[in-house]
Amino acid sequence: MLLVNGAHAFIVSTLCSNSNSAYKCNPSFAKVFIFRNTLEYLARGLMYGYYDIPFGLEESGVVSLSLEKDGENFIYQSVAAGVRVDKIVLARTGHVLINPIEPMHKPKELTSFLLVEFDKTLLVEPERAKKIFITYPIEIGVFISSGTVVEVLDIFTLARQKFTLYGDPRNGVICKYWSSNVYSSLPAVDPLCEGVIELSITNATKEWVKITKAIFNAYGMKMYYNDARVTMKATMKILHGKLAETDFVDAPVEQGMKKSMELYTAKKLTVTSTKFLMGWGL
Amino acid sequence: MILETVVYGDVTLLDLMRIVVILVIAIVIAKGLTLNIKRGLRDKIDKYHIEVITKVVYYGIIVIAVLAVLPILGIKLSGLLVAGGIAGIVLGIASQSVVGNLIAGLFLMIERPMKIGQSVNIAGIAGVVEDIRVISTTLRTFDGLYVRMPNEKVFTTNITNYVEHVARRFEYIVGIRYSDDADKAIGIIQNLNEEHPLTLKSPSSDIFVDNLGDNAVNIIVRLWAPSTEWYGVKKELLWKIKRALEDEGIEIAFPQRTVWFANELRKQELDRSEVSESGSE
Repeated sequence: MLLVNGAHAFIVSTLCSNSNSAYKCNPSFAKVFIFRNTLEYLARGLMYGYYDIPFGLEESGVVSLSLEKDGENFIYQSVAAGVRVDKIVLARTGHVLINPIEPMHKPKELTSFLLVEFDKTLLVEPERAKKIFITYPIEIGVFISSGTVVEVLDIFTLARQKFTLYGDPRNGVICKYWSSNVYSSLPAVDPLCEGVIELSITNATKEWVKITKAIFNAYGMKMYYNDARVTMKATMKILHGKLAETDFVDAPVEQGMKKSMELYTAKKLTVTSTKFLMGWGL
Repeated sequence: MILETVVYGDVTLLDLMRIVVILVIAIVIAKGLTLNIKRGLRDKIDKYHIEVITKVVYYGIIVIAVLAVLPILGIKLSGLLVAGGIAGIVLGIASQSVVGNLIAGLFLMIERPMKIGQSVNIAGIAGVVEDIRVISTTLRTFDGLYVRMPNEKVFTTNITNYVEHVARRFEYIVGIRYSDDADKAIGIIQNLNEEHPLTLKSPSSDIFVDNLGDNAVNIIVRLWAPSTEWYGVKKELLWKIKRALEDEGIEIAFPQRTVWFANELRKQELDRSEVSESGSE
Protein backbone atom coordinates (compact mmCIF):
# COMPACT_ATOMS: atom_id res chain seq x y z
CA MET A 1 0.00 0.00 0.00
CA LEU A 2 1.25 3.44 -0.81
CA LEU A 3 -0.18 6.68 0.54
CA VAL A 4 -0.58 9.39 -2.07
CA ASN A 5 -2.26 12.75 -2.41
CA GLY A 6 -2.48 13.68 1.24
CA ALA A 7 -5.09 12.20 3.52
CA HIS A 8 -7.78 11.45 0.95
CA ALA A 9 -6.26 8.89 -1.33
CA PHE A 10 -3.92 5.97 -1.34
CA ILE A 11 -3.02 3.23 -3.70
CA VAL A 12 -3.20 -0.50 -3.33
CA SER A 13 -1.90 -2.96 -5.88
CA THR A 14 -3.43 -6.30 -6.59
CA LEU A 15 -2.08 -9.18 -8.58
CA CYS A 16 -3.32 -10.27 -11.95
CA SER A 17 -2.48 -13.91 -12.22
CA ASN A 18 -2.93 -16.39 -15.06
CA SER A 19 -2.41 -13.77 -17.68
CA ASN A 20 -0.77 -16.23 -20.05
CA SER A 21 -4.02 -17.57 -21.46
CA ALA A 22 -5.48 -15.99 -24.57
CA TYR A 23 -8.80 -15.09 -22.92
CA LYS A 24 -7.66 -13.87 -19.54
CA CYS A 25 -7.54 -10.35 -18.25
CA ASN A 26 -5.52 -7.99 -20.30
CA PRO A 27 -2.06 -8.24 -18.69
CA SER A 28 -1.38 -4.58 -19.43
CA PHE A 29 -4.01 -3.56 -16.91
CA ALA A 30 -2.24 -2.22 -13.83
CA LYS A 31 -4.22 -3.06 -10.72
CA VAL A 32 -3.96 0.15 -8.78
CA PHE A 33 -6.82 1.76 -6.91
CA ILE A 34 -7.11 5.26 -5.61
CA PHE A 35 -9.94 5.68 -3.15
CA ARG A 36 -10.90 9.24 -2.37
CA ASN A 37 -11.88 8.32 1.09
CA THR A 38 -9.25 6.40 3.03
CA LEU A 39 -11.79 5.00 5.45
CA GLU A 40 -13.77 3.54 2.58
CA TYR A 41 -10.78 1.50 1.50
CA LEU A 42 -9.98 0.36 5.03
CA ALA A 43 -13.54 -0.81 5.40
CA ARG A 44 -13.64 -2.96 2.28
CA GLY A 45 -10.21 -3.53 0.75
CA LEU A 46 -11.52 -3.78 -2.81
CA MET A 47 -13.86 -1.68 -4.90
CA TYR A 48 -16.80 -4.06 -4.30
CA GLY A 49 -19.39 -2.94 -1.76
CA TYR A 50 -21.72 -0.06 -0.88
CA TYR A 51 -20.96 3.63 -1.25
CA ASP A 52 -22.94 6.65 -0.18
CA ILE A 53 -23.30 9.15 -2.97
CA PRO A 54 -21.47 11.29 -3.92
CA PHE A 55 -18.45 9.06 -4.28
CA GLY A 56 -15.50 8.46 -6.55
CA LEU A 57 -12.82 5.85 -7.06
CA GLU A 58 -10.15 5.23 -9.62
CA GLU A 59 -8.08 2.35 -10.79
CA SER A 60 -5.08 3.77 -12.54
CA GLY A 61 -5.41 3.40 -16.28
CA VAL A 62 -8.21 0.85 -16.04
CA VAL A 63 -11.27 1.91 -14.07
CA SER A 64 -12.47 5.30 -12.94
CA LEU A 65 -15.90 5.71 -11.35
CA SER A 66 -17.53 8.78 -9.89
CA LEU A 67 -20.96 10.01 -8.97
CA GLU A 68 -20.51 13.68 -8.23
CA LYS A 69 -23.00 16.35 -7.18
CA ASP A 70 -23.89 18.73 -9.99
CA GLY A 71 -26.34 21.35 -8.76
CA GLU A 72 -29.53 19.53 -7.82
CA ASN A 73 -28.51 16.31 -9.59
CA PHE A 74 -25.60 13.90 -9.84
CA ILE A 75 -23.27 13.20 -12.74
CA TYR A 76 -22.17 9.59 -13.13
CA GLN A 77 -19.02 8.99 -15.07
CA SER A 78 -17.10 5.78 -15.59
CA VAL A 79 -14.10 4.91 -17.68
CA ALA A 80 -13.36 1.19 -17.78
CA ALA A 81 -10.91 -0.48 -20.17
CA GLY A 82 -11.03 2.60 -22.36
CA VAL A 83 -14.83 2.84 -22.57
CA ARG A 84 -16.41 5.97 -21.12
CA VAL A 85 -20.00 6.17 -19.86
CA ASP A 86 -21.72 9.39 -18.77
CA LYS A 87 -25.12 9.56 -17.12
CA ILE A 88 -27.15 12.12 -15.22
CA VAL A 89 -28.82 10.82 -12.08
CA LEU A 90 -31.87 12.77 -10.97
CA ALA A 91 -31.91 11.93 -7.29
CA ARG A 92 -31.56 13.64 -3.93
CA THR A 93 -29.62 10.90 -2.22
CA GLY A 94 -29.02 7.18 -2.46
CA HIS A 95 -26.50 4.38 -2.33
CA VAL A 96 -24.34 2.77 -4.93
CA LEU A 97 -23.47 -0.92 -4.89
CA ILE A 98 -20.56 -2.23 -6.92
CA ASN A 99 -20.28 -5.98 -7.19
CA PRO A 100 -19.48 -8.79 -9.65
CA ILE A 101 -22.37 -9.91 -11.84
CA GLU A 102 -23.10 -12.59 -14.42
CA PRO A 103 -20.65 -12.23 -17.36
CA MET A 104 -23.31 -12.09 -20.04
CA HIS A 105 -23.82 -8.41 -20.84
CA LYS A 106 -20.65 -7.25 -22.56
CA PRO A 107 -19.91 -6.46 -25.33
CA LYS A 108 -23.52 -7.35 -26.20
CA GLU A 109 -26.21 -9.30 -24.42
CA LEU A 110 -26.42 -12.12 -26.97
CA THR A 111 -26.83 -15.15 -24.76
CA SER A 112 -27.34 -16.36 -21.22
CA PHE A 113 -24.94 -19.28 -21.57
CA LEU A 114 -21.30 -19.46 -20.54
CA LEU A 115 -19.00 -22.10 -22.01
CA VAL A 116 -15.81 -22.76 -20.07
CA GLU A 117 -13.31 -24.81 -22.02
CA PHE A 118 -10.77 -26.71 -19.94
CA ASP A 119 -7.11 -26.50 -20.85
CA LYS A 120 -6.78 -30.24 -20.30
CA THR A 121 -9.28 -33.05 -20.89
CA LEU A 122 -10.73 -34.52 -17.71
CA LEU A 123 -11.28 -38.26 -17.39
CA VAL A 124 -13.87 -39.11 -14.77
CA GLU A 125 -14.08 -42.51 -13.14
CA PRO A 126 -17.42 -44.40 -13.36
CA GLU A 127 -19.92 -43.74 -10.54
CA ARG A 128 -17.61 -41.23 -8.90
CA ALA A 129 -17.99 -37.62 -7.71
CA LYS A 130 -15.04 -35.22 -7.82
CA LYS A 131 -14.55 -31.54 -7.14
CA ILE A 132 -12.45 -29.22 -9.33
CA PHE A 133 -11.93 -25.48 -9.58
CA ILE A 134 -12.10 -23.53 -12.83
CA THR A 135 -12.12 -19.83 -13.60
CA TYR A 136 -14.73 -17.73 -15.37
CA PRO A 137 -14.89 -14.11 -16.53
CA ILE A 138 -16.76 -11.58 -14.46
CA GLU A 139 -18.50 -8.34 -15.21
CA ILE A 140 -18.87 -5.58 -12.68
CA GLY A 141 -22.27 -4.07 -12.05
CA VAL A 142 -22.85 -0.63 -10.62
CA PHE A 143 -26.29 -0.44 -8.99
CA ILE A 144 -27.99 2.61 -7.58
CA SER A 145 -30.64 2.31 -4.91
CA SER A 146 -33.15 4.59 -3.34
CA GLY A 147 -34.89 2.95 -0.42
CA THR A 148 -35.51 -0.63 -1.49
CA VAL A 149 -35.68 0.12 -5.22
CA VAL A 150 -32.55 -0.84 -7.13
CA GLU A 151 -31.59 0.05 -10.70
CA VAL A 152 -28.58 -0.83 -12.84
CA LEU A 153 -26.43 2.23 -13.39
CA ASP A 154 -23.58 0.72 -15.36
CA ILE A 155 -21.91 -2.54 -16.32
CA PHE A 156 -18.28 -2.94 -17.36
CA THR A 157 -15.72 -5.70 -17.61
CA LEU A 158 -11.97 -6.04 -17.59
CA ALA A 159 -12.06 -9.60 -18.94
CA ARG A 160 -11.37 -10.48 -22.55
CA GLN A 161 -14.54 -11.15 -24.53
CA LYS A 162 -15.26 -13.98 -26.95
CA PHE A 163 -18.28 -15.93 -28.10
CA THR A 164 -18.57 -19.46 -29.39
CA LEU A 165 -21.18 -21.89 -30.67
CA TYR A 166 -22.08 -25.01 -28.72
CA GLY A 167 -23.73 -27.55 -30.98
CA ASP A 168 -24.44 -27.07 -34.65
CA PRO A 169 -25.52 -23.83 -36.36
CA ARG A 170 -29.11 -25.09 -36.72
CA ASN A 171 -29.88 -26.22 -33.19
CA GLY A 172 -26.90 -25.06 -31.13
CA VAL A 173 -26.61 -22.16 -28.74
CA ILE A 174 -24.35 -19.14 -28.77
CA CYS A 175 -22.28 -19.06 -25.59
CA LYS A 176 -19.87 -16.66 -23.97
CA TYR A 177 -16.47 -18.32 -24.27
CA TRP A 178 -13.80 -18.65 -21.63
CA SER A 179 -10.73 -20.84 -21.45
CA SER A 180 -9.69 -22.03 -18.02
CA ASN A 181 -7.01 -24.05 -16.34
CA VAL A 182 -8.29 -26.84 -14.10
CA TYR A 183 -7.25 -26.59 -10.46
CA SER A 184 -7.55 -29.00 -7.59
CA SER A 185 -7.70 -26.21 -5.02
CA LEU A 186 -8.89 -22.62 -4.96
CA PRO A 187 -6.57 -20.68 -7.29
CA ALA A 188 -5.49 -17.08 -6.75
CA VAL A 189 -7.07 -14.94 -9.47
CA ASP A 190 -7.71 -11.26 -10.04
CA PRO A 191 -11.11 -10.67 -8.38
CA LEU A 192 -11.85 -7.74 -10.71
CA CYS A 193 -11.46 -9.87 -13.77
CA GLU A 194 -11.97 -13.55 -13.00
CA GLY A 195 -14.00 -15.62 -10.60
CA VAL A 196 -13.61 -19.21 -9.50
CA ILE A 197 -16.22 -21.94 -9.93
CA GLU A 198 -16.13 -24.85 -7.52
CA LEU A 199 -17.46 -27.54 -9.84
CA SER A 200 -18.67 -30.82 -8.39
CA ILE A 201 -18.67 -33.42 -11.15
CA THR A 202 -20.71 -36.57 -10.65
CA ASN A 203 -20.32 -39.38 -13.13
CA ALA A 204 -23.56 -41.31 -12.76
CA THR A 205 -22.68 -43.71 -15.57
CA LYS A 206 -20.82 -47.00 -15.45
CA GLU A 207 -18.26 -45.79 -18.01
CA TRP A 208 -15.22 -43.54 -17.94
CA VAL A 209 -16.22 -40.15 -19.31
CA LYS A 210 -14.08 -37.45 -20.96
CA ILE A 211 -14.93 -33.82 -20.28
CA THR A 212 -13.43 -30.88 -22.14
CA LYS A 213 -15.91 -28.16 -21.33
CA ALA A 214 -18.78 -27.06 -19.11
CA ILE A 215 -21.73 -24.88 -20.11
CA PHE A 216 -23.67 -22.91 -17.54
CA ASN A 217 -26.92 -21.00 -17.61
CA ALA A 218 -26.30 -17.51 -16.28
CA TYR A 219 -29.84 -17.33 -14.90
CA GLY A 220 -28.75 -19.70 -12.16
CA MET A 221 -25.49 -18.04 -11.18
CA LYS A 222 -25.09 -17.36 -7.46
CA MET A 223 -21.96 -15.30 -6.98
CA TYR A 224 -20.21 -14.59 -3.70
CA TYR A 225 -17.18 -12.39 -3.10
CA ASN A 226 -14.68 -11.29 -0.50
CA ASP A 227 -11.50 -9.26 -0.67
CA ALA A 228 -9.54 -12.03 -2.33
CA ARG A 229 -11.85 -13.66 -4.84
CA VAL A 230 -15.23 -14.00 -6.49
CA THR A 231 -16.72 -17.48 -6.44
CA MET A 232 -19.65 -19.68 -7.43
CA LYS A 233 -20.58 -23.27 -6.66
CA ALA A 234 -21.80 -25.41 -9.54
CA THR A 235 -22.62 -29.01 -10.22
CA MET A 236 -22.26 -31.18 -13.30
CA LYS A 237 -24.10 -34.48 -13.38
CA ILE A 238 -23.00 -36.75 -16.22
CA LEU A 239 -26.04 -38.67 -17.36
CA HIS A 240 -24.29 -40.62 -20.11
CA GLY A 241 -21.18 -40.36 -22.26
CA LYS A 242 -22.43 -37.33 -24.22
CA LEU A 243 -25.00 -35.81 -21.90
CA ALA A 244 -24.60 -33.85 -18.70
CA GLU A 245 -26.62 -31.37 -16.69
CA THR A 246 -25.14 -28.32 -14.99
CA ASP A 247 -26.68 -26.23 -12.26
CA PHE A 248 -25.63 -23.86 -9.49
CA VAL A 249 -25.67 -24.14 -5.72
CA ASP A 250 -26.60 -21.06 -3.73
CA ALA A 251 -23.73 -21.21 -1.21
CA PRO A 252 -20.37 -19.48 -0.76
CA VAL A 253 -17.15 -21.37 -1.38
CA GLU A 254 -15.51 -19.80 1.68
CA GLN A 255 -16.94 -18.70 5.00
CA GLY A 256 -17.82 -15.03 5.39
CA MET A 257 -18.24 -14.24 1.69
CA LYS A 258 -20.83 -11.64 0.68
CA LYS A 259 -23.49 -12.50 -1.85
CA SER A 260 -23.48 -10.50 -5.08
CA MET A 261 -26.62 -8.84 -6.28
CA GLU A 262 -27.54 -10.80 -9.40
CA LEU A 263 -28.41 -8.62 -12.34
CA TYR A 264 -31.37 -10.75 -13.30
CA THR A 265 -32.74 -10.09 -9.80
CA ALA A 266 -32.19 -6.38 -10.23
CA LYS A 267 -33.90 -6.49 -13.62
CA LYS A 268 -36.83 -8.39 -12.07
CA LEU A 269 -36.65 -11.07 -14.75
CA THR A 270 -38.65 -14.21 -14.26
CA VAL A 271 -36.20 -17.08 -14.33
CA THR A 272 -37.75 -20.27 -15.65
CA SER A 273 -34.75 -22.59 -15.43
CA THR A 274 -31.31 -22.36 -13.93
CA LYS A 275 -30.02 -25.63 -15.40
CA PHE A 276 -28.33 -26.39 -18.70
CA LEU A 277 -28.47 -29.74 -20.42
CA MET A 278 -25.25 -30.36 -22.35
CA GLY A 279 -26.60 -32.42 -25.21
CA TRP A 280 -24.00 -31.79 -27.91
CA GLY A 281 -21.04 -33.41 -26.27
CA LEU A 282 -18.87 -32.97 -23.22
CA MET B 1 -99.21 -34.78 -24.37
CA ILE B 2 -97.90 -31.30 -23.86
CA LEU B 3 -94.75 -31.99 -25.92
CA GLU B 4 -96.87 -32.66 -28.95
CA THR B 5 -98.53 -29.29 -28.74
CA VAL B 6 -98.23 -27.59 -32.11
CA VAL B 7 -96.47 -24.24 -31.90
CA TYR B 8 -96.87 -23.28 -35.55
CA GLY B 9 -97.31 -25.22 -38.78
CA ASP B 10 -96.08 -28.76 -38.12
CA VAL B 11 -93.57 -27.66 -35.49
CA THR B 12 -94.30 -29.06 -32.06
CA LEU B 13 -92.92 -28.20 -28.65
CA LEU B 14 -90.82 -31.39 -28.86
CA ASP B 15 -89.28 -30.13 -32.12
CA LEU B 16 -88.37 -26.86 -30.43
CA MET B 17 -86.77 -28.78 -27.59
CA ARG B 18 -84.78 -30.88 -30.08
CA ILE B 19 -83.62 -27.69 -31.79
CA VAL B 20 -82.49 -26.22 -28.47
CA VAL B 21 -80.65 -29.43 -27.55
CA ILE B 22 -78.89 -29.59 -30.95
CA LEU B 23 -77.85 -25.94 -30.72
CA VAL B 24 -76.61 -26.36 -27.14
CA ILE B 25 -74.59 -29.44 -28.13
CA ALA B 26 -73.17 -27.53 -31.14
CA ILE B 27 -72.16 -24.63 -28.90
CA VAL B 28 -70.51 -27.00 -26.43
CA ILE B 29 -68.62 -28.78 -29.24
CA ALA B 30 -67.61 -25.44 -30.79
CA LYS B 31 -66.34 -24.09 -27.46
CA GLY B 32 -64.45 -27.29 -26.68
CA LEU B 33 -62.87 -27.40 -30.13
CA THR B 34 -61.82 -23.73 -30.10
CA LEU B 35 -60.32 -24.18 -26.64
CA ASN B 36 -58.25 -27.11 -27.89
CA ILE B 37 -57.20 -25.17 -30.99
CA LYS B 38 -56.09 -22.27 -28.78
CA ARG B 39 -54.03 -24.62 -26.62
CA GLY B 40 -52.57 -26.48 -29.58
CA LEU B 41 -51.56 -23.43 -31.59
CA ARG B 42 -50.53 -21.23 -28.64
CA ASP B 43 -46.81 -21.74 -29.27
CA LYS B 44 -47.04 -21.97 -33.03
CA ILE B 45 -48.81 -18.87 -34.24
CA ASP B 46 -49.54 -15.45 -32.83
CA LYS B 47 -52.59 -14.47 -30.80
CA TYR B 48 -54.30 -12.50 -33.56
CA HIS B 49 -54.30 -15.43 -35.96
CA ILE B 50 -55.43 -17.86 -33.28
CA GLU B 51 -58.42 -15.58 -32.72
CA VAL B 52 -59.26 -15.61 -36.44
CA ILE B 53 -59.00 -19.40 -36.71
CA THR B 54 -61.03 -20.07 -33.57
CA LYS B 55 -63.78 -17.68 -34.68
CA VAL B 56 -63.98 -19.34 -38.10
CA VAL B 57 -64.22 -22.77 -36.46
CA TYR B 58 -66.72 -21.63 -33.81
CA TYR B 59 -69.12 -19.90 -36.17
CA GLY B 60 -68.66 -22.64 -38.78
CA ILE B 61 -69.97 -25.23 -36.31
CA ILE B 62 -72.84 -22.94 -35.29
CA VAL B 63 -73.82 -22.38 -38.94
CA ILE B 64 -73.77 -26.15 -39.60
CA ALA B 65 -75.95 -26.69 -36.52
CA VAL B 66 -78.41 -24.00 -37.65
CA LEU B 67 -78.59 -25.58 -41.11
CA ALA B 68 -79.22 -28.94 -39.44
CA VAL B 69 -82.18 -27.65 -37.44
CA LEU B 70 -83.82 -25.72 -40.28
CA PRO B 71 -85.68 -28.82 -41.66
CA ILE B 72 -87.12 -29.40 -38.19
CA LEU B 73 -88.60 -25.92 -38.41
CA GLY B 74 -90.15 -26.87 -41.71
CA ILE B 75 -87.68 -24.90 -43.84
CA LYS B 76 -86.58 -27.07 -46.75
CA LEU B 77 -82.90 -26.79 -47.70
CA SER B 78 -83.28 -28.06 -51.25
CA GLY B 79 -84.13 -24.58 -52.46
CA LEU B 80 -81.34 -23.12 -50.41
CA LEU B 81 -78.95 -25.74 -51.76
CA VAL B 82 -79.70 -24.83 -55.38
CA ALA B 83 -79.34 -21.13 -54.67
CA GLY B 84 -76.34 -21.76 -52.45
CA GLY B 85 -74.75 -23.99 -55.09
CA ILE B 86 -74.98 -21.32 -57.76
CA ALA B 87 -73.82 -18.66 -55.34
CA GLY B 88 -71.00 -21.01 -54.28
CA ILE B 89 -69.78 -21.42 -57.86
CA VAL B 90 -69.84 -17.68 -58.43
CA LEU B 91 -68.14 -16.95 -55.12
CA GLY B 92 -65.67 -19.80 -55.67
CA ILE B 93 -64.53 -18.42 -59.02
CA ALA B 94 -64.44 -14.88 -57.69
CA SER B 95 -62.55 -15.76 -54.54
CA GLN B 96 -60.21 -18.38 -55.98
CA SER B 97 -57.06 -16.36 -55.29
CA VAL B 98 -58.33 -15.26 -51.89
CA VAL B 99 -58.95 -18.86 -50.84
CA GLY B 100 -55.57 -19.89 -52.27
CA ASN B 101 -53.88 -17.16 -50.25
CA LEU B 102 -55.88 -18.12 -47.17
CA ILE B 103 -54.86 -21.77 -47.38
CA ALA B 104 -51.23 -20.80 -48.13
CA GLY B 105 -51.36 -18.49 -45.10
CA LEU B 106 -52.58 -21.31 -42.88
CA PHE B 107 -49.80 -23.58 -44.13
CA LEU B 108 -47.24 -20.81 -43.56
CA MET B 109 -48.46 -20.48 -39.98
CA ILE B 110 -48.11 -24.19 -39.43
CA GLU B 111 -44.79 -24.67 -41.26
CA ARG B 112 -43.32 -21.40 -39.92
CA PRO B 113 -40.37 -20.90 -42.28
CA MET B 114 -39.97 -17.42 -40.76
CA LYS B 115 -41.07 -15.43 -37.76
CA ILE B 116 -42.02 -11.80 -37.29
CA GLY B 117 -38.86 -9.71 -36.90
CA GLN B 118 -36.56 -12.07 -38.80
CA SER B 119 -34.48 -10.98 -41.78
CA VAL B 120 -35.49 -12.90 -44.88
CA ASN B 121 -35.33 -12.88 -48.65
CA ILE B 122 -38.56 -13.86 -50.40
CA ALA B 123 -38.57 -14.03 -54.19
CA GLY B 124 -35.58 -11.70 -54.37
CA ILE B 125 -37.00 -9.14 -51.93
CA ALA B 126 -34.91 -8.88 -48.78
CA GLY B 127 -36.18 -7.34 -45.58
CA VAL B 128 -37.53 -7.83 -42.10
CA VAL B 129 -40.82 -9.72 -41.63
CA GLU B 130 -43.34 -7.21 -40.30
CA ASP B 131 -46.40 -9.42 -40.19
CA ILE B 132 -47.70 -12.80 -41.38
CA ARG B 133 -51.45 -12.43 -41.87
CA VAL B 134 -53.97 -14.95 -43.09
CA ILE B 135 -53.99 -13.56 -46.63
CA SER B 136 -50.66 -11.78 -46.98
CA THR B 137 -47.20 -11.34 -45.54
CA THR B 138 -45.63 -7.93 -45.15
CA LEU B 139 -41.94 -7.11 -45.27
CA ARG B 140 -40.00 -3.96 -44.42
CA THR B 141 -37.12 -3.89 -46.87
CA PHE B 142 -33.71 -2.77 -45.68
CA ASP B 143 -34.42 0.48 -47.57
CA GLY B 144 -37.41 1.00 -45.29
CA LEU B 145 -40.04 0.20 -47.93
CA TYR B 146 -43.33 -1.57 -47.15
CA VAL B 147 -43.86 -4.68 -49.29
CA ARG B 148 -47.03 -6.76 -49.16
CA MET B 149 -46.77 -10.22 -50.65
CA PRO B 150 -49.71 -12.59 -51.19
CA ASN B 151 -49.24 -15.74 -49.15
CA GLU B 152 -49.69 -17.95 -52.19
CA LYS B 153 -46.56 -16.40 -53.71
CA VAL B 154 -44.67 -16.59 -50.41
CA PHE B 155 -45.58 -20.24 -50.00
CA THR B 156 -44.59 -21.31 -53.50
CA THR B 157 -41.31 -19.39 -53.76
CA ASN B 158 -37.86 -19.78 -52.22
CA ILE B 159 -37.51 -18.23 -48.77
CA THR B 160 -34.04 -17.51 -47.44
CA ASN B 161 -34.13 -16.91 -43.72
CA TYR B 162 -30.92 -15.13 -42.72
CA VAL B 163 -31.31 -15.58 -38.98
CA GLU B 164 -33.11 -18.89 -38.50
CA HIS B 165 -29.85 -20.58 -37.59
CA VAL B 166 -27.99 -19.14 -34.62
CA ALA B 167 -24.67 -18.73 -36.42
CA ARG B 168 -23.55 -18.11 -39.98
CA ARG B 169 -20.34 -17.85 -41.93
CA PHE B 170 -19.10 -14.95 -44.03
CA GLU B 171 -15.98 -14.55 -46.09
CA TYR B 172 -13.51 -12.13 -47.62
CA ILE B 173 -10.91 -12.58 -50.31
CA VAL B 174 -7.77 -10.63 -49.46
CA GLY B 175 -5.27 -10.27 -52.29
CA ILE B 176 -1.66 -9.55 -51.27
CA ARG B 177 1.43 -8.99 -53.41
CA TYR B 178 3.54 -11.91 -54.57
CA SER B 179 6.50 -10.40 -52.73
CA ASP B 180 4.65 -10.53 -49.36
CA ASP B 181 4.75 -13.40 -46.87
CA ALA B 182 1.36 -15.14 -47.06
CA ASP B 183 1.94 -17.11 -43.83
CA LYS B 184 2.56 -13.88 -41.96
CA ALA B 185 -0.58 -12.35 -43.47
CA ILE B 186 -2.63 -15.37 -42.42
CA GLY B 187 -1.23 -15.05 -38.88
CA ILE B 188 -2.18 -11.36 -38.70
CA ILE B 189 -5.72 -12.06 -39.89
CA GLN B 190 -6.01 -14.97 -37.43
CA ASN B 191 -4.95 -12.69 -34.57
CA LEU B 192 -7.61 -10.15 -35.53
CA ASN B 193 -10.17 -12.95 -35.55
CA GLU B 194 -9.06 -14.12 -32.10
CA GLU B 195 -9.25 -10.61 -30.68
CA HIS B 196 -12.67 -9.77 -32.08
CA PRO B 197 -15.30 -10.73 -29.48
CA LEU B 198 -18.10 -11.37 -31.96
CA THR B 199 -16.35 -13.78 -34.30
CA LEU B 200 -16.92 -17.26 -32.95
CA LYS B 201 -14.24 -19.45 -31.42
CA SER B 202 -16.16 -22.46 -32.70
CA PRO B 203 -16.88 -23.29 -35.53
CA SER B 204 -13.26 -22.43 -36.19
CA SER B 205 -12.22 -19.93 -38.82
CA ASP B 206 -10.75 -21.03 -42.12
CA ILE B 207 -7.98 -18.79 -43.50
CA PHE B 208 -5.78 -20.02 -46.34
CA VAL B 209 -4.21 -19.17 -49.68
CA ASP B 210 -7.01 -19.93 -52.09
CA ASN B 211 -5.36 -19.24 -55.40
CA LEU B 212 -2.42 -17.57 -57.12
CA GLY B 213 -4.20 -14.90 -59.09
CA ASP B 214 -3.05 -12.80 -62.03
CA ASN B 215 -2.17 -9.89 -59.82
CA ALA B 216 -2.26 -11.15 -56.25
CA VAL B 217 -1.94 -14.08 -53.90
CA ASN B 218 -5.56 -14.50 -52.85
CA ILE B 219 -6.15 -15.41 -49.22
CA ILE B 220 -9.66 -16.56 -48.41
CA VAL B 221 -10.93 -15.64 -44.94
CA ARG B 222 -13.95 -17.56 -43.66
CA LEU B 223 -15.27 -16.54 -40.25
CA TRP B 224 -18.33 -17.45 -38.19
CA ALA B 225 -20.45 -14.99 -36.24
CA PRO B 226 -23.84 -15.01 -34.49
CA SER B 227 -26.53 -14.60 -37.16
CA THR B 228 -27.78 -11.41 -35.57
CA GLU B 229 -24.31 -9.84 -35.63
CA TRP B 230 -22.57 -11.08 -38.77
CA TYR B 231 -23.24 -8.04 -40.95
CA GLY B 232 -21.80 -5.58 -38.44
CA VAL B 233 -18.77 -7.80 -37.88
CA LYS B 234 -18.23 -8.18 -41.62
CA LYS B 235 -18.33 -4.42 -42.13
CA GLU B 236 -15.94 -3.79 -39.27
CA LEU B 237 -13.31 -6.46 -39.86
CA LEU B 238 -12.34 -5.92 -43.49
CA TRP B 239 -10.87 -2.48 -42.91
CA LYS B 240 -9.13 -3.70 -39.76
CA ILE B 241 -7.54 -6.50 -41.78
CA LYS B 242 -6.35 -4.04 -44.40
CA ARG B 243 -4.83 -1.73 -41.81
CA ALA B 244 -3.23 -4.53 -39.80
CA LEU B 245 -1.61 -5.96 -42.91
CA GLU B 246 -0.30 -2.57 -43.99
CA ASP B 247 1.09 -1.95 -40.50
CA GLU B 248 3.19 -5.08 -40.99
CA GLY B 249 4.37 -4.02 -44.43
CA ILE B 250 1.99 -6.29 -46.34
CA GLU B 251 0.10 -4.48 -49.05
CA ILE B 252 -3.13 -5.25 -50.81
CA ALA B 253 -2.22 -5.95 -54.43
CA PHE B 254 -3.80 -4.01 -57.26
CA PRO B 255 -4.07 -5.06 -60.90
CA GLN B 256 -0.82 -4.42 -62.80
CA ARG B 257 0.83 -5.80 -65.91
CA THR B 258 4.51 -5.91 -66.86
CA VAL B 259 5.00 -5.61 -70.61
CA TRP B 260 8.15 -7.03 -72.24
CA PHE B 261 8.90 -5.98 -75.81
CA ALA B 262 10.14 -8.70 -78.12
CA ASN B 263 11.80 -6.03 -80.35
CA GLU B 264 13.28 -2.84 -78.93
CA LEU B 265 11.50 0.35 -79.72
CA ARG B 266 12.78 2.39 -82.67
CA LYS B 267 13.37 5.40 -80.41
CA GLN B 268 15.58 3.43 -78.05
CA GLU B 269 17.61 2.24 -81.03
CA LEU B 270 18.04 5.85 -82.20
CA ASP B 271 19.05 6.98 -78.74
CA ARG B 272 21.68 4.30 -78.54
CA SER B 273 23.07 5.12 -81.97
CA GLU B 274 23.26 8.82 -81.00
CA VAL B 275 25.14 7.96 -77.84
CA SER B 276 27.58 5.74 -79.73
CA GLU B 277 28.13 8.44 -82.37
CA SER B 278 28.85 11.16 -79.80
CA GLY B 279 31.23 8.76 -78.10
CA SER B 280 33.23 8.15 -81.27
CA GLU B 281 33.63 11.90 -81.91
